[in-house]
Amino acid sequence: MSEPVIVLDHLSKSFGNVHAVQNLSLTIAPGTIFGFLGANGAGKTTTIRMLCGLTHPTGGNATIAGTDVWKDRQHVRTKFGYVPQRFSLYRDLTVLENFRFFGGAYGVPGAELERRIKRLLRLSDLEEKVNAAAGSLSGGMRQLLAIGCALVHDPPLLFFDEPTAGLDPVHRQQIWNLLYDLSNEEKTIFVTTHYMDEVERCTEVGFIESGRLLAKASPRALKSSFRARLLEIDVEPLMPALVQLRDRPELLGVSLRSGSLRLYAQEPEKLMARWRENWPFPDLHLLGERWVEPDMEDVFTAYSQGYDGVLKKSTA
Amino acid sequence: MKWPSLGAIASVAYKEFLHIYRDRRVLLLLIVLPPLFTLMFGHAFENTELTDVPALLIDRDQTPRTAHFVEIISKDKTFHWRMPAPDFRGESDLIGNGVKATLVIPVGWTDSLNKGDPKPLPLYLDDSDTNTASAVEGAVQKNLGTFQSKERDLLVESLPEEVIELGKKLPIDIRKQFVSLMTAWSAESKNLYNPKSRFIDYVVPGVIGLILQLLTVTLMACTIARERESGTLYQLLVTSLQRGEIVIGKMLPYLVVSICLVVVIMALCWWHFEVAFYQPHALALICLLFLLCSLGLGLLISTFSRTQTQAIQFSVFFLLPVFVLSGAFAPLEQLPKAIQYISELFPLTHFCRAFRLVNMYHAGFSFYVVDLVVLLAGALITFIGAAFLLKRIEQ
Repeated sequence: MSEPVIVLDHLSKSFGNVHAVQNLSLTIAPGTIFGFLGANGAGKTTTIRMLCGLTHPTGGNATIAGTDVWKDRQHVRTKFGYVPQRFSLYRDLTVLENFRFFGGAYGVPGAELERRIKRLLRLSDLEEKVNAAAGSLSGGMRQLLAIGCALVHDPPLLFFDEPTAGLDPVHRQQIWNLLYDLSNEEKTIFVTTHYMDEVERCTEVGFIESGRLLAKASPRALKSSFRARLLEIDVEPLMPALVQLRDRPELLGVSLRSGSLRLYAQEPEKLMARWRENWPFPDLHLLGERWVEPDMEDVFTAYSQGYDGVLKKSTA
Repeated sequence: MKWPSLGAIASVAYKEFLHIYRDRRVLLLLIVLPPLFTLMFGHAFENTELTDVPALLIDRDQTPRTAHFVEIISKDKTFHWRMPAPDFRGESDLIGNGVKATLVIPVGWTDSLNKGDPKPLPLYLDDSDTNTASAVEGAVQKNLGTFQSKERDLLVESLPEEVIELGKKLPIDIRKQFVSLMTAWSAESKNLYNPKSRFIDYVVPGVIGLILQLLTVTLMACTIARERESGTLYQLLVTSLQRGEIVIGKMLPYLVVSICLVVVIMALCWWHFEVAFYQPHALALICLLFLLCSLGLGLLISTFSRTQTQAIQFSVFFLLPVFVLSGAFAPLEQLPKAIQYISELFPLTHFCRAFRLVNMYHAGFSFYVVDLVVLLAGALITFIGAAFLLKRIEQ
């Protein structure tokens, strides 16, 4: 196996008494599309900012391609591209001028730069927009341009903070196709997202909650680490059922999926057996029940709500 | 720490130049405002003499002698006289009459002169601006003096022969003293600096400095604040650009623009106000250091402002005392000592002083070297401070 691109070793960051990131350790292999997941405020952005050398770790350390992200931050910045959540290119500059500026800023020599820009324009499908002002592009094109500019110095790693937030499905698909192309070129992609279907597209996923890494595995492994089946019931009327079930102490959580209610409980088989005998909701009609495979959203909810422990398969 | 790379600086400078070029409204402001301000300020301060002060002159005595005095004083350009009828009352209502002063020749003034007991002329003055009143009073005194010496000449001419004969009997040295006392004594003045007493020549560095200070500080103050506001700052900071490269690259296009503006303003002063410029090398050096210092200040403001609005507010708070206390339009020596120490903190103060030393005094390098050192130190401190603050963002 080749050298890992990113190594985090007990990386921590505290702001006074607030521990934003605590003892984060993980390694990411080249070519991985790593999905970094966590609720808002879980410590994702702080971790990325530390990896980009924008804020110094208060404990532990991290390396990108063998370079320390804080001690050698001037140098480490040539090893990655960064696409922030908010569109952060120069709106009054054209597509080409943005490319040229970032190329120049990274010190890419002129002839090489022109060759790369040509290739990136083709890759990001922006050839026809070369002379359009960046601010006049649509949301999807802006994101493609941002990726292009982040790749102009040909880094082995790309940080990508919520790449498709606010984009329509067609453009999301286009962005992901571009990411697959990059992964195919052995580039490592570190991506944060809130879209569960996008998590499934990653080759590896890490869950962070309250600054701690809770899990790191492939999406398949994560899902199968959970209880094999979750209980889903059909009830009428739907909304009163959802509200009433949400308040039941024996349930950890309820989520609405395509008209059915998915229940998270410690021992769903026993619960359902009890309910079949004695249905506790006189104004609700139980129409049916079934067992379903957990999806990524179930995993995410479980981790971020803190009941992953009860839902995980016992290793025994 | 490696040396800044020229290529990286050029990339930042070119990008910053495009920002200026694309922002058409600011560009228009840059092209139109400096010449316009130069013309406005230049004409405003072209002449400082007080003329055409509206005033009332009431001659209640109406004799040939008062008519003579009225004739003399009405030729004085200081005043724009209105002469109401002798029975006009309400001489002390200055604003009611729409004047700054009222001079009254009371009934019996001629008589009092003849009796050897001259009555004073009542003079009502508006001293609200602490300036006009003393000037008007001086002008009235001067005209009275002229009138008095003319009256004396008339008297001497009409003296009877016996008196002259009597005078000849006086000892010669007494007579000579008497004669010299009869003529006004004077000083022979020679203006060594600014011999033509043109205020515009004095004020030119103030005009240049004020316009440049205003534009450089406010425009520069917005550059980093704008990147912070639009989110591009982090994108800029994660590139491998060094902080020094960002600071220098951002400053360069503004330096070029301000140098062009200095040239435009000076050309306009030379062509329109006929201001002569001496020792171009020295003036160029003074201007360059002043611009660097001002741009550095703007940059420093920019690095600790969160938004462009804040940057503009900080700039205004800084610029306001500069405009009033820098000695751009009035000599610093008029200010109290303690305030003068504050003035020494402003780059504009040193710019104006050095500029005047070169252009009006034709002074040698040793006279203004201190001001140059202060400007240079200001430029270094602000640039290093800006780079340092930019570094602090990554904490």
